[in-house]
Amino acid sequence: MIASLAAFAAAALVMPLLARWLGRRVFAVIALLPAAVFVLLLTWLPGVLAGTPVVEIVPWIPALDISLSFRLDALALLLALIVTGVGALVLLYCVHYFADDEPALGRFAGLLLAFAGVMFGLVTADDVFILFTFWEATSVLSYLLIGHYTGRKESRGAALQALTVTTFGGLAMLVGLVILAVAGGTTSLSELIADPVTGAAGEWAIALVLLGAISKSALVPFHFWLPAAMAAPTPVSAYLHAAAMVKAGVYLVARLAPGYAELEVWHPIVIGLGALTMLVGGWRALRQYDIKLLLAYGTVSQLGFLVMVTGFGTRDAALAGVALLLAHALFKAALFLVVGIVDHAAGTRDWRKLSGVGRRMPVIATIAFIAAASMAGVPPLIGFVAKEAVFTAFLDAVAAGDSWAWVALIGAVAGSVLTVAYTVRFIWGAFFSKTDVADTPLHAESPAIAVAPGLLAAASVVSTFAIPFIEPLLASYADELPGGHDYHLALWHGLEPALALSAVVFALGALLVWGRQRVARLQASVAPVLDSARGYLGIVSVVDRVAASITTAIQARGLPGYLAIIMTVFIGGLGAASIMNTSWPAGIRLFDYPAQPFLALVMAIAAVAAATVRQRMTAVLLVSVTGYGLVLLFGMSGAPDLALTQALVETIVLVVFVLVLRRLPKQIAQRNPPVHKLARGIIGALAGLVMAVLGLVALGARIQPTIAGGLPALALEAHGKNIVNVMLVDIRAWDTLGEISVLVAVATGVASLIFVSGRTGGAPRLDAVDEGVNRRDRLRPVPEPAWSIRAPRTSLADTAGESDAAGEAAETRQTWLLAGRTISPRNRSILIEVLVRLLFHPAIIVSVFLLFVGHNAPGGGFAGGLLAGLALVARYLAGGRYELGEAAPVDAGRLLGTGLLLAAGTAAGSLLFGGPVFESAWFETEVPLLGTISIGTSTLFDIGVYLVVVGLVLDILRSLGGEVDRQEERQTADEGDGAFTTGDGEHGDEHGGTPGEGAEFADGDEYSAGARLPGDGARQPSVERTEEARS
Amino acid sequence: MTHAAADVSRWRSVWRQLPLLVALVFLWVFLWDQVTVLTVVTGVLLAIGVTRVLYLPPVLLSGRFNVWRGLLLGLRMMWDVTIASLQVAVLAIDPRWKPMNSIIAVQLLTRSDLVTTLTAEAISVVPGTVVVDIDRERGLLYLHALGTRTQADIDRVRRDVLGTEERIVLAIGTRGQAASVRAARRERRAAHDHSKGVRA
Repeated sequence: MIASLAAFAAAALVMPLLARWLGRRVFAVIALLPAAVFVLLLTWLPGVLAGTPVVEIVPWIPALDISLSFRLDALALLLALIVTGVGALVLLYCVHYFADDEPALGRFAGLLLAFAGVMFGLVTADDVFILFTFWEATSVLSYLLIGHYTGRKESRGAALQALTVTTFGGLAMLVGLVILAVAGGTTSLSELIADPVTGAAGEWAIALVLLGAISKSALVPFHFWLPAAMAAPTPVSAYLHAAAMVKAGVYLVARLAPGYAELEVWHPIVIGLGALTMLVGGWRALRQYDIKLLLAYGTVSQLGFLVMVTGFGTRDAALAGVALLLAHALFKAALFLVVGIVDHAAGTRDWRKLSGVGRRMPVIATIAFIAAASMAGVPPLIGFVAKEAVFTAFLDAVAAGDSWAWVALIGAVAGSVLTVAYTVRFIWGAFFSKTDVADTPLHAESPAIAVAPGLLAAASVVSTFAIPFIEPLLASYADELPGGHDYHLALWHGLEPALALSAVVFALGALLVWGRQRVARLQASVAPVLDSARGYLGIVSVVDRVAASITTAIQARGLPGYLAIIMTVFIGGLGAASIMNTSWPAGIRLFDYPAQPFLALVMAIAAVAAATVRQRMTAVLLVSVTGYGLVLLFGMSGAPDLALTQALVETIVLVVFVLVLRRLPKQIAQRNPPVHKLARGIIGALAGLVMAVLGLVALGARIQPTIAGGLPALALEAHGKNIVNVMLVDIRAWDTLGEISVLVAVATGVASLIFVSGRTGGAPRLDAVDEGVNRRDRLRPVPEPAWSIRAPRTSLADTAGESDAAGEAAETRQTWLLAGRTISPRNRSILIEVLVRLLFHPAIIVSVFLLFVGHNAPGGGFAGGLLAGLALVARYLAGGRYELGEAAPVDAGRLLGTGLLLAAGTAAGSLLFGGPVFESAWFETEVPLLGTISIGTSTLFDIGVYLVVVGLVLDILRSLGGEVDRQEERQTADEGDGAFTTGDGEHGDEHGGTPGEGAEFADGDEYSAGARLPGDGARQPSVERTEEARS
Repeated sequence: MTHAAADVSRWRSVWRQLPLLVALVFLWVFLWDQVTVLTVVTGVLLAIGVTRVLYLPPVLLSGRFNVWRGLLLGLRMMWDVTIASLQVAVLAIDPRWKPMNSIIAVQLLTRSDLVTTLTAEAISVVPGTVVVDIDRERGLLYLHALGTRTQADIDRVRRDVLGTEERIVLAIGTRGQAASVRAARRERRAAHDHSKGVRA
């Protein structure tokens, strides 16, 4: 079992890669895995039936007595067979459901496969905490799968709702499980059931665990998340919300019933809520027009039914319950898959628009009919067999005088009547011809898509007749509960009360169908009772409003307000502490070398000036002066590492500032004059003073002898000579890991603030270059047509109509940067382009050098990454956002993720070899001719840091640079005064004249004759003079 | 002078790009401060890798480098910088000096982007003159020059710029460019001699 789980995990991880070159066919490949596990499970069947469960235990956290223990008994085997069998069929169905160009196909395949694995782990886990881990994992995976269409708001909302509700229940369940484990003295589920916890602890624990179960299985009052989750793709609905995940709650009830069905809290929750849910679900299903929603409410109803039956607590009911579980998995998955096919073919799921579908899709209609008949309990299908068993079990209990049995029986009969009614509604709505609706136009679907639902429907028929072979497995579980062993599942028991009840159910169902208009009127007149979705939304909106009002109350003063508060706290706290300090240094040395006071003076002047100037750009430059002054101070004090890093950081910060300031008014406080100038000045001055005093005190406060003397030896132990770097990547690697995690969060935050919609993908790329520069030509220079030197390119696509001859005939020059020509000649500087072209590659080489030399000399991943980032900055500044896209044609998120993975991977890697986190290792070998090569895990860690820093810079450039450019261009284009627009082709459509203008520009002559550059006339004479001088 | 990029054969174009690749390897070895098989091999691999992965359009150098002219260029640059620094320093502390500066357009002899850029850089490095704009199409440099009080001053600056360009072309320009520069020089010298002769 553990091996199967590992196989699921590994396969899910490689799925995104596999999906890239297999497309949707990847599903056919991965369906093999659950199918293989299904077969493997079948081979264990005889042993399990013989009463010897398969057990695997691997110790995990001995201190808490938690181990990876798995136990496959009859119930687990039944569920595991359903999970893997239906899973394999649903994956097979996905092959035809999705198109190859479906976005995020690899992610979806990986998640769905991972879900199958997690579900398999859930039903086989024996340790309650392992069970809980899988339980929560299904919630998270279900969140990701429901939210598959990340661009749709309702999809994200439904995903979040499902996650919130099921996690709430899950947390309650965790508390219950902890109580059980502590009171029972073991974490083994089988032992807890064999030797149940009783008394108040047991009651509370089971109530909490059941809370988890009913939230997961969408029982009232948590039922609302399941219909909303229908925003997911159909395979997800079929698998998670019919066959697998929602069954987790039923499984837990079935699992606990043998030990805990006698508790006081058990019956009210299980039977009371079960019966209520069955009725509410069926009632609401009768009101739906969307056939998928109809099925969803039907599922809610059936889940209530299942929980009620499996939790009833007698042997016969348990037998009926697991039979119903099997039947439900078969017919409901088949029905959802059919709905997906109809939806695909007709383009709608609203049955008021569907007509004549059954006549033209006879195979699909037949499959649906069989599955729906099983749902309604029509003989000779497995649904009928199960329902007969349920009625018999409840009737027997009623006869025995059980008061809860009355509730259960009435609930089951009434619910079944509703089931019959909504089944008819579904079949009629989806497949029949309606007199007043024209035939729905249908797309042809591949016949192969019917394979999976067909097999499931066939199983509904076959299993009825194979009941003697299936029953031992079901009975093997049911026998754990009290009650006589003489009842058997069968199609025909003779004329007995249960059969009569079935007949009554069908008759009443037919009555409902006959009087459907009256039912509809009744439903419309009754206020929606138990609409807990509204309650949920109410809670959420109250939380939102409270949060918003607190935020408004606290954060009303803007940035100056925050800073004032932070600074005041700083002055009050640390200032007071430093005044009360007793360990003042004995003497004060004014300076170490003469340049120090000079630099300090320059920095002080710049700082004061920065606070008083009125131009934003000037203020930023003055702040930079203080930063570069610090660089000099570091450098002169013998800290080249710090100086190097500070210089690079200062430069990057300056660039980011400039990028941001483009969008702000040039003057500071143009609109709102600053208030409380004096107070602000005092706060600023005091903060500086406190900081200075703190420095003084801190330097004099040493009590213990310094450990600096030991550091060189420690560094050598870590194979490094540069103590600073060894500190960063080895001794204090935890800090660095935390810091780069913050960097990743910052990059994501910046990007998501700027990009209004999705931020995946790299910076925009040139479309024309791919044609112009193919692989063979990469060693040859790229010619640049003369007109692109003279005139701006109106759009990137305007090379489309150009013949090669025209391009060659034009006076051409060499292109220096790939996207230089996308910039208007007025803003273009060939000087910068040539310099960037010549210096970009050397800068990258130096950054790689800094990365690798870091362990022994000044440098390191951080400095190297910053330098590489600056090289990208240069490319962007010289060639604009398209140049950035060509310079780094990768998603910044990928760089960040890879870097973080590498860093965290080296941290966790040593765990695999039994060492503590971050234990360093070195690989050193003597290569002939080359010499000694030594690679340490700390080098890998540093590479991770390097990638994160590059990714951060790229993300900032992409959002604050490229995206802001694009937004600005769009703004100018929208305002209508943009004579030319670069960028997206859609602008051409907005301005009818743009293509014509483009042609004029491209021609060049009109440009120089008609529209002169503003300074052109002034320049002309001096040119003539030059020529005179030459002659 | 146009860069006829398209008519260079493939291997010739590779050959003419090689210096930049070799420069990258030299940079790597120089950074590690040791010439070993390891540094050279990794340097070659890295240089090829970086230029392949982070692709930029190849730069066609002239394929010609005159060492002697290069040396002269370097020495002259140092001399110019030294003298100009002193001049600017004097101007900066001279209380009587009233700034009288100008923006001058200079028509360069060549249109090569590389020569234009190097000339612009060389002029900007020398204190007192800064390039403010380049007209790539016409081969014009616009520069800001300090202390240009008379037309003679302007002509001197212009001559300096053209002289710098000539030296750069003679050191690294293509054969064709170098030949045309030499021809222009001979002509000028002849004209100069001629005018001398007339005076004499």
